Amino acid sequence: MPKANASIHQTVILTSLFFIAAPFVLSEGPNPTKGFPNGHYLVPDTNILLNAMDLLEQNTAFHDVIILQTVLEELRNRSLPLYNRLISLTRSEEKRFYVFFNEFRSETYVIREQGETINDRNDRAVRTAAKWYSNHLQESILKSRSKRKTPSIVVLTDDKDNRTKAKATNVTAYSLLEYVSQLEDADRLLDMVVTSQQARSNASAPAENIYPDYYSISKINTGIRAGTLHQGIFNVSTYNYLEGTVNVPAFDKSLIIMGRVNSNRAVSGDVVIVEILPQSQWKSPSTKVVDEETLNRNENPDAEEGESVVTEQERRALQDEVKKVHGKTSESHPQPTVRVVGIAKRNWRQYVGHIDGTSISKNKQTRKLETCFLLPMDKRIPRIRIRTRQAGELVGKRILVTIDSWDQDSRYPSGHFVRDLGALESKGAETEALLLEYDIQYRPFPKAVLDCLPAEGHDWKVPASTDDTGWQKRQDLRDLLVCSIDPVGCQDIDDALHARRLPDGTIEVGVHIADVSHFVKPNNAMDFEAATRGTTVYLVDKRIDMLPMLLGTDLCSLKPYIERYAFSTLWQMNDDAEILDVRFTKSVIRSREAFSYEQAQIRIDDASQKDELTQGMRTLLMLSQRLRQKRMDAGALNLASPEVRVQTESETSDPIDVKTKELLATNSLVEEFMLLANISVAGKIYNFFPSTALLRRHADPPKTNFEELSNQLKVRRGLEIDSSSSKTLADSLDRCVDPQEPFFNTLVRILATRCMMSAEYFVAGSQAYSEFKHYGLATEIYTHFTSPIRRYADLIAHRQLAAAIEYEPVHPSLNGKAKLEAICQNINVRHRNAQFAGRASIEYYVGQALKGRVIDEEGFVMRVFSNGFVVFVPRFGIEGLIKLKDLASPEPEGVYDEQKYILTTKGSREVSVALFDSVRVKIQDVLDESSSKRKLKMELL
Amino acid sequence: MPLDTSTYTLALLRLDGRRWNELRRMTGQISTQSAAGADGSSFLSIGNTSVLCTVNGPAEIRNRNAANAAGLTTGGDDEASVSVEISVAGFSGVDRKKRGGDRRVLEMQSTLSSAFQTHLFTHLYPRSTISITLHVLAQDGALLATCINAATLALVDAGIPMPEYLVACTAGVTLDSVSELRSGEEESGDPLLDLNGQEEMELPFLTAATVGSSDMISVLVCESRCRVERVEGMLAVAVDGCKQVKEILDGVVRERGGKILQGMGG
Repeated sequence: MPKANASIHQTVILTSLFFIAAPFVLSEGPNPTKGFPNGHYLVPDTNILLNAMDLLEQNTAFHDVIILQTVLEELRNRSLPLYNRLISLTRSEEKRFYVFFNEFRSETYVIREQGETINDRNDRAVRTAAKWYSNHLQESILKSRSKRKTPSIVVLTDDKDNRTKAKATNVTAYSLLEYVSQLEDADRLLDMVVTSQQARSNASAPAENIYPDYYSISKINTGIRAGTLHQGIFNVSTYNYLEGTVNVPAFDKSLIIMGRVNSNRAVSGDVVIVEILPQSQWKSPSTKVVDEETLNRNENPDAEEGESVVTEQERRALQDEVKKVHGKTSESHPQPTVRVVGIAKRNWRQYVGHIDGTSISKNKQTRKLETCFLLPMDKRIPRIRIRTRQAGELVGKRILVTIDSWDQDSRYPSGHFVRDLGALESKGAETEALLLEYDIQYRPFPKAVLDCLPAEGHDWKVPASTDDTGWQKRQDLRDLLVCSIDPVGCQDIDDALHARRLPDGTIEVGVHIADVSHFVKPNNAMDFEAATRGTTVYLVDKRIDMLPMLLGTDLCSLKPYIERYAFSTLWQMNDDAEILDVRFTKSVIRSREAFSYEQAQIRIDDASQKDELTQGMRTLLMLSQRLRQKRMDAGALNLASPEVRVQTESETSDPIDVKTKELLATNSLVEEFMLLANISVAGKIYNFFPSTALLRRHADPPKTNFEELSNQLKVRRGLEIDSSSSKTLADSLDRCVDPQEPFFNTLVRILATRCMMSAEYFVAGSQAYSEFKHYGLATEIYTHFTSPIRRYADLIAHRQLAAAIEYEPVHPSLNGKAKLEAICQNINVRHRNAQFAGRASIEYYVGQALKGRVIDEEGFVMRVFSNGFVVFVPRFGIEGLIKLKDLASPEPEGVYDEQKYILTTKGSREVSVALFDSVRVKIQDVLDESSSKRKLKMELL
Repeated sequence: MPLDTSTYTLALLRLDGRRWNELRRMTGQISTQSAAGADGSSFLSIGNTSVLCTVNGPAEIRNRNAANAAGLTTGGDDEASVSVEISVAGFSGVDRKKRGGDRRVLEMQSTLSSAFQTHLFTHLYPRSTISITLHVLAQDGALLATCINAATLALVDAGIPMPEYLVACTAGVTLDSVSELRSGEEESGDPLLDLNGQEEMELPFLTAATVGSSDMISVLVCESRCRVERVEGMLAVAVDGCKQVKEILDGVVRERGGKILQGMGG
C-alpha cells in the first residue's frame, strides 16, 4: 500500500496558503468625511445594494465598505447581475470593499426569533454585526495603544424602522439620502439616489393599485408543477408595444400577452410566469401598428393620483382589436392569450434613451427635483420615470438610466439617471449608446491584459533559427505559395490559402489560420478578457477588438511578405474535390500576397497571368465550385440577408453613400474552404474530446415557424414551401421565383431566414450526436475554427485541435464541461449582440448618409397590418413602416383582408397594397421622435 | 440550484463556514443496540449524515450458497466471511425515495465487505460469518465514509479482532468557476476536506479509508471525473482527515471503555 504521502501533503498546504492573497484586513485609514472626522466604514443593507449599485461604483465616494454575508447572499438570491457587480467591486483594490462572513461567527450569528420575519432577522443580523464591529475596532485600537481615534461603523439603510432600532442599540445608521447629502460631491451623486420610494412615501394617500398582485411563490410553484402556469421569456413586439409574446416549453407556438394590465409590469426580456386566460378572452395577434409615442404623448409624469393603467387612447386601440376578433370569429384564429401573474427573474439592464422634452418644465435654470420621462431607444421598453435635478441640461442628450422598481400603483417603471453620453445625434454619443444597448465591452484593454502581450511588441518576429522552442513540432511551410483573400482594407487577416498539384496528380490544398493560441495562453488575463468579449464587433466606423491591436492586426494577422505562425489544415484532394486525406499541423508560413476579393477575381480572370500563384488560385476556385455544388446537393441553404455597405469618407468617416454588397466568385472561394476546414476540424476535435469539444449547431426550425410564410406564399403567389428538411426547403426556395421580379426570390429567402432558429455554440456532451447537425450548411458536425482573431470560439477550437494532434498537452480548461458551457452561453449572447450592433450601426449610418436627400426607390411589401404595411428597400437594405395616416390626411379608411393579405384604402386616397407587391417609395430622413434616432421615412408614391 | 463556489475565494470559507481542512462535527456512540440482541452496534454521524450499524457474529454459516449467490459474502473456507447489508431509509435524503435495489448501495456493500474481509483477522473464525447491517438514517455527503467508520465502531464493540481502526474520510477539490477571473494564476483548485451533500453534487471528490493513522490506504473510491493532477492533493487531504477521524473514533471507544471499567469497579 502506498506510504509516500508525507511530501505531497506539504505541497498541498503550501498551495493552499498561496491562495490567501486577498487582503482580509480592513484598510488603516478609512476615508474621513465632514460627518466622520475619524473615518468610517460603511455597512449597507441589501436594499441599498439593490437600488444603488451605480452609486457604490462611483470612484469619488463609497470607499471602505463592509459587505456582510447575510447581505451578500440575499443579494445573490435577488439579482445575480448585481451580485456579480458587487463581487467585482470586492476585487477592486481602490474601492476597498470587504466581505465579512458574519453568519459564520458566533458573536454575530443571530437566530431567528419566533414570529420574526426573515427580513427583520436579516436586519437584526446587520445591526448585530455593525455593533460587534465597532466594539471590535475599539478593542483592537485599545490593544495597539495607538492614539488613533476609533473609526465609526455606519449602517446604511433606507428602512426607517431599522434605523430607529439601530439608534436604540447605539449603532450609527443613515439613510442613503442622508449619507449622500453630507458628501462633498452631493449634488451630482444625489441624482443617482433612488428617490422613488421616498417620493411615494411622502404622498399623502396611498395611490390605488393599478396593476394586479403577483401570485405568491408557493402558488406559482404549485401552478407550474401542475402545468396550469407557465414560465418563459417575455418579448414585446417591435411593432406594437402593447402586444407581447411568451414562448413556453409546453407549447410549440408562442402565447400572446395583450395590453398593459395583462403584461403586468413585465419588461421585455424578463422571465415571467403566465396564466392562460379563458378562451373567451383569446385574441388573434394584432394586425395593427401601435406606437407608444403617438398614443400617450400628452401624459404628465407627475400625475400620481388617478393614474389609470389604460389611457383612453390605449383603450380605444384595444377596443378596435377586440371588435375585429369578434367580428370575424369564424375565420380568424384567436390564439391562446395569457396574462402575467409573476416574475421569475427581472432582466433589467441599463437603458439608453433621451428625456422627453415635453415632460419637463421649460425653465432651464432650476435645480429643483423634477420628474420626467425617459424614452428608451429600444421601443419595446416602456418609458421610464426618473427624477433629476438636472433635467434642463439633460434634454437633447443621450443618457443612460436604470430601472429601479415598478410599483403596483405606478403606470411606468421608475428609474434613475446613471450617466450622460453626449448630445443626441453626435457620432460619439450614438456609437456609445449603441455599444451600451448591446452590452458590448468597449473600454480600452486594462493593463493586466496588455501585460500578457509579447514583450517585443511590434518587433516580434518568427525566430530565425529553427532550433528555437517556437519551432518545435511546427512544420516549415514557408515555401508554399500562400495568399490571403479578404475584404478591402482588412487588417486582421485570419486566413490564407494555397493549392498545388502533387506529383501523383492529386491536389494539395491548405487553409492556414492565424495561430492565435500561440499568443493567447489559457487562463491569463488576456484570455479572460477575450472570453468575456467573445467576439470582435464591427461597426461602420469602428471595430471593437476582442484581442489587443498588437495581436489582431500585426503579430497574428497573416500579413503578406512576412513569416507568421499559422495553424494549417492540409487536404489531399482529387479533381472532383473528394478528400483523400486530411492533416492538421502548426506551421510557419509566408503569405505571398494579400488580395482583396476584387483583386483576386481580376487576377484569376486575367488569362495572361500564368504564374504559379495565380494557377493555384484557379485550382482553388475550381475546387470551391465543386465543393459548393456538393454542398448544395446535400441540401445546404442559400440564405439571404440584406447586406449593404456604407461608404465613408476616409478621413472623417462621414458616410457618403450606401451600396449593396457585391458577391464575387472569390467570396465563395474563401467561404467554401473555410467551411471545409471548420467541418474537418470539428470531426477531429470531437473524436478527441467526445464530451467537451466546442462545436456549433443549427437546429432544425420547428415546422410551425414556416406556417405563416408558407400560407402567405400560397395565397399570394400559389407557391409552396416545404420545410420538412433543409434539402426540400432549399429546393422549394429555388422554385420561388417570379420572372418579372428577380428580387422576389431574395425577398423570400430573407423572410425564410427569419423563420429559422439561430445557430449556436455548444459543448459536445450537452447534445446527442444527431443534434449536432448544422441545418443551414447541411453538415453533420460543424465548428468555428477559421477566425480566431475575432471569435473566441475559434480560439478554443484551436487549443482543442492542438491537443488533439498532440502538439501540446491537454490544458484543463479544455476539459471542464461546466466551464465550457458557460463560455458557450456567453459567446452565443455576444455573437448575437455583435450582429445586432453591427446592423444598428449600419442603420444609423444609412440614415446619416441619406440625410437631407429625397430618393425614389423600389421596395417590396414584406408585411401588412390593418393600418399600415412594411416596405423593404433592397437598395439600402432597410425596411420601413408606412402607416395609413402617412398616406394622406385625413387618414384614409383601410380595409384589411386578412385571408388575402391585401390592404385597401378608401376615402382621401385609394390604393390597394398586397403582400410581396413591388411599390415605389419616396425615402427621406426624419428624426424619429420617440427614439431620437435619425430614421428613414418612407412614403408611398 | 447549482452550488456557487465563487464566494470561496472571497474568504476561503465554504458554504457551511468551514475552512478547507476542517471536518464537520462528528459524534459516535457504541453499543446502542445491545438491548436488541446485536453483538456489536454503533451510531455515527458526520454533519447531517447519520448511520446506525449492528454487527452479528462471528456466527455459524447458515446458508452459504445462498449468501454467495447474492454476492454479499466474501472469503474462503478457512476464514470468516464478511457480509454487509446496507438499507437506506426512504426519508434519509432530500426527496423521499421508494425502496428498491440501488446499484450504488450494492456497490457500497461490496466495497465494505471486501475492505473488512481483508482488514479483520478473519482467519481466527473459519467457516463462520460476520454480518454487518447498516441503516442510513440521514444523508448529507460522505455516506460511504460514514458507513465504514460506523462499521469499525460496531466491530470494535462486537469484539472482533483487527489490527487497527479502519477509518474513512472524503476529500474534494474546488473548481474554478468562470465568474472568477483570477488573472495569471495557474489553476490548481483547492483541496477540501469532508464535503457535505451540496458540495458533493458539484465538486469531484474521493473517499479514502486508511488503516489507523498510518498512510496505508485500504479503500479508495472516486466516482466523479477529475483531473489526475488534482488526485494527489485530494488524497493527501483525505489521508490527513482519516488521522483526525481516527482520533475521534478512538475517543468514542475509550469513553465507552472507561464507562465499562467504572461500571465494573462500582
